[in-house]
Parts: sequence; structure tokens; C-alpha cells
Amino acid sequence: MSGALLLQSLILGLLLGGLYALLAAGLTLYFGVMRVVMIAHSAFLILAAYLAWFFTTQTGLDPLLSLVITVPLFFAAGYGMQRALLSRLRPATLTMMSVLLTFAIALVIEGGLGYLFSGTQRRIQLGYSGASLELWGARIAVVKLIAFGLAAVSLLALYLLLKKTRFGQALRATIQHREAAQLLGIDTDRIAGFGFGLGLATAAVGGTALALDATIYPSLHWHWIGPLMAIIVIGGLGSIPGAAIAAMLLGVTQALLQIPMGTTWAQTVFYLALFATLMFRPQGFFGGRLAQRF
Amino acid sequence: MLSASRHRESGTSPGRSVLLTKLLVAAVLLGLVLAFPALAPDPFVLSVGVVIASYAALAVAWNFVGGLTGYISLGHAAYSGLGGYATALLVTEAGVNPWVSMVVAAVLVGVAAVPIGIASLRVRGASFVIVSIALVLILLLVAQSWAGVTGGSNGLRVPRPFGTDVLRPEQHERFFYLFVGLTLVALALWWVIDRSRLGTGLKAIREDEDKAQALGVPTFAYKLVVFVVSAFMTAMAGGMYALWFGSLDPIFQFSILTGSYLVLMSLLGGVRSLLGPVVGAVIVGYAVEFFKAQYGDTQLHLVALGLLLALVVLFMPDGVIPWLTAQLDRFRPGDTSIREVDAAQLAEERKALEEAKS
Repeated sequence: MSGALLLQSLILGLLLGGLYALLAAGLTLYFGVMRVVMIAHSAFLILAAYLAWFFTTQTGLDPLLSLVITVPLFFAAGYGMQRALLSRLRPATLTMMSVLLTFAIALVIEGGLGYLFSGTQRRIQLGYSGASLELWGARIAVVKLIAFGLAAVSLLALYLLLKKTRFGQALRATIQHREAAQLLGIDTDRIAGFGFGLGLATAAVGGTALALDATIYPSLHWHWIGPLMAIIVIGGLGSIPGAAIAAMLLGVTQALLQIPMGTTWAQTVFYLALFATLMFRPQGFFGGRLAQRF
Repeated sequence: MLSASRHRESGTSPGRSVLLTKLLVAAVLLGLVLAFPALAPDPFVLSVGVVIASYAALAVAWNFVGGLTGYISLGHAAYSGLGGYATALLVTEAGVNPWVSMVVAAVLVGVAAVPIGIASLRVRGASFVIVSIALVLILLLVAQSWAGVTGGSNGLRVPRPFGTDVLRPEQHERFFYLFVGLTLVALALWWVIDRSRLGTGLKAIREDEDKAQALGVPTFAYKLVVFVVSAFMTAMAGGMYALWFGSLDPIFQFSILTGSYLVLMSLLGGVRSLLGPVVGAVIVGYAVEFFKAQYGDTQLHLVALGLLLALVVLFMPDGVIPWLTAQLDRFRPGDTSIREVDAAQLAEERKALEEAKS
């Protein structure tokens, strides 16, 4: 195996890891605000990718411009979903029933996409689709760099939003201790809805990034949800930095394993890491108090 | 409590008559089920009956974990698929008798379920669901990629257990009875566990795992035992399905959709009741087959399944029968547990008691 190939895999792994990190951050937000495992996250990811594709084929504009529509749309959808559907479930069985409810939403999205756009594989053709940069013999496609840049900027924005703003403080307080946050005068129901909206907005960004350089089809979301859920368990449920670190590590490992094992077998690394984590450290590697009990 | 003891004092007739009615209804239902092959107008309807009976066996097997502990597994297709593949491999590669293969395969799956259970049951629900989905996805990957053993995307062919002189309708009929038998065994086992100390502990876990643990219920061991039992029964049904259907396709064997059908069936019928999953299997199984026959292979069946699941989760999480009774009760005069006695009557009672004492 040549050094250039290794370097190329390493860089590709890091770029993929960035996208995983953004999406895992969204999953972590849902889990934080409501203790909900949101199975439909990756279905919304594919939905956003389809919207970007549809936007580009209809208008001929760059798919990145579709973010102007999809991000607010998904934020509103997430808020509405939390307020209208998930908050109606009984608290005692919330964890299990919310899984089923979001699973049902994922099925509706997959079926709807298949019905509207058929199961045909779709791909966006852009002027810069074939362009690539060369760095010490490693070829990196420009679209992958754009996708990573998009993910990195969104993660940074999310970080700043959570750490530096009053809304971020209220959201983190809601995650840490709901009753205490209520006593401080925070409208936790609304904040939880906004948290959900933010999570779904990450799916909108991720979907657009995905549409830039991947072939999409309705049932693609099953290939994403498994790795993403593995990442949030390994990172420790509810910990955004943990999820980001696990995403980067696993993204790189997957890319490196692809060289000797091929793409299909390399995917199993997520599941093996998931089982190993649950066997030896069920609270994950970066999770705090919250992760112990799920 | 009061009314129950009063019933017992006033003779055993009400209790016994209820039991008798129940037994009579069960016997009539069972008779109808057993008469189905004779009543079915053509082999296609009969084969739909076999599919529904296999769903019933799978749903009851699912309900060991789902109903008793409240842990919802979306990935039970993993165990039925593994059971099917193991049965097929034992028959074709090792030349073992099909029925022995089925049981051996189920035992193997039960053994394999121990480490899976340890990994997924140590922590609470969320990780359990994640592992259950991950397991199906990983097995689908393996079944499709490991072509040397599993036949890859082409799948495996399983020879029929009854020889070639038994015609297809006859095959369907025999397998219908076999699936009904398997369902009855699973129901009996569920009934026994439900009434045992194990079952009481499991239901305590379902209601409040922390309190159950504080009261000394060995929660982890109990969950693991019932999880392995469930995997074993699911694998039995999966193996029997492989023998009936004759060919295995990884996409359908390790499908999250199959797993979600089982969840929908059990929830719709009612996870807390013995026969709930069977009722759900009949309703959902019939609906699925009807939808397939009516609308063919469009993606709309996913939308229909999703909407139905969402409706059940939102509006009748306890099942259709409790929901119906609750709707009917709205029109009945309210029966309250509060005694309707006012303060004056209470004072009189107390006076009478004191007089009797003195």
C-alpha cells in the first residue's frame, strides 16, 4: 500500500468524519432535550438531499442555495414534530414509544420519496463535480472539501450558539435538569421544541452536503442510521464533544479499513465498536451522568 | 379487593362460569383456525393463511421481551433470519434432518443471543433499541457480502422436508398446522412465564426498573433469560418459515420492515395480553397481504405501515381491545371506585359502631 493512498484515505476519512460529527450532534441534541432516539434523523437527511437534487434539477442553481429553504423548513418541522407528536407520548414509556414514532416517520419519508421520485438512483451533476485537488499524491475531490467545510462551519455555529447565547444557556440548562430549568423561569417546552428544530436543521445541512457528491436513493437512510447511532452510543449518549470525537475516529478507521477490506466489510467497524462499547463501557467513552442510565 | 373476596364468599359460580365461557370461546376459535385449510377456497388463500400463522408465531415470540419487559426490539428479524439461514445450512451442507436442523438452529441462535443480550440489556431501553436495529443491519451486510456461505444476494435454496410427492396445497396445509402448533407452544410458554415468579419480576421491570431493582429483583438476569427465550422461539419460527418457503433472500430475511411488522402486530393487539399478538398478526398480516395484492409493489405500503404505526403509538399504545373498551365505557354510566357516602351517613355509621362497642 503506497503512502499516497494511505494519506488519501486518511484525509477522506477525516472529511467523512466531519459530516458524521454534524449529524451525530443533531442526534445528541434530540437525546439531550427529550431522551429520544430519533430514528428518522437519517431519513430527513436523505429528504434534504432529495430536496437539494430537486431544487438543482428544477432551477439549475447550485444545490448549496437550497439550504436557504431547507434549513428554516426543517427547523420548523422539528419544532412542530416535537410539540405536536412527541410531547403527546406518555412520559413513562417515552423512550420506547418515541423510537417507534420516529421509526414510523422514517418509513413515511422513505415510502413518500420512493413514490414521488421512484427508486431510481439520483445524482447531482455540477460543473465542479469532477474537480479535485492534489496534495502529495493524494487526490481529494473538491465537492468532498465543500461538504466538510459546510459541516465544520455548521458545527462551529452550533457550538457558539450553545455556549455563547442566552438561548444556548437555556437549552443546556433544559438538557441538564429540566425541573431546575423550569424553576429558573425557562419555558422548557418551547426550548425542547427549538432543540429538536436545531437537530433537524443539522440534517438539512448534512443532506445538502451529502447530495453534492453521493448517489442518493430512498432506502439510503438505513446505511446512515446504523453508523450514526453507533457513534452516539460510543461517544456517550448526550455528549456532543464525545459524539464528534467518536465520529472523527470511526470515520478515519472506516476509510483506512476500506483499503484492505472493501467498502462493505469496512462498514462493520461501526457495529463491532458499538458491541464492544456496550460490553465493556456501556455508558460510552465521553458520556457523563446522563449516559449511565440509557 | 373487597368485591373480589365477596365473590369468593358467595359461592364459586361467577368465577367458574367466566372461566367456562373463556374456555368455550377459546375452543371455538381454535376449531375455526384448525378448520381454515378445509374452508380455504384455493391454494393462494391457504398460503396467505400460512403467512399469517407464521406472523402469529413470530409476534408471540417477540412478545416475550416486548410484552413482559416493555423493551421494544425493532430487530427481531435478526433472529428469525439467523434461524432460517442456520436451518438451511444444516440441511444443505451437513445433511441433517430438516426438523432436527430447525431445533438445533434455534438452540444455536439462543446461544448467540446471550452475548447480544449482555451487550444490549446492561443499560436501559435506548441502547437496546439501537443494538436491535444495528444487529439487523450488520447481518444484512454479512449475508450479502459473505457469498461463500450465505449465497450472497442470490440467497439460499432449501429443499422441502416432505419430499416431491406432496403437492403444494398439501404442503401449505401441513405447514399451516405446524405454524399453529408452534404458536400454541409459544402461547403456553408465555402463559407459564407470565404467571411465574420470573414473569412477576419482569412485569415489575416493565413498570419501574429502578424500584424493581431496589426490591431485590435480579433485573439483568431476568431480562437476559426472557431475551434468550424470545430469540429461541423467533428462530424456531424463522427456521420453519425457511423450510416452508424453500428459498431465503437476505433482503427479506434481515429486514427491519419484518421486525417492525412484529412490533405493530403486538402493539395493535395489545402487548399485555396473551392473545394480543395473535389478534394483531391476523389484522396486520391480512392487511399487508391485501395491500400487496391490491396495490402491488409501490412504495406506498411503507407510507401505510408508517401511518398505521404512528396512529397506534399515539392513540392506542395499549392495543386495540383496551382502546375499544375505553371507547365503549364512555357511553356507560361511570362506575367509580369511590363510595358515594356523604358526611351525615358516615357520622351515623360511626355512631352505630360506637354504640355496638359500648
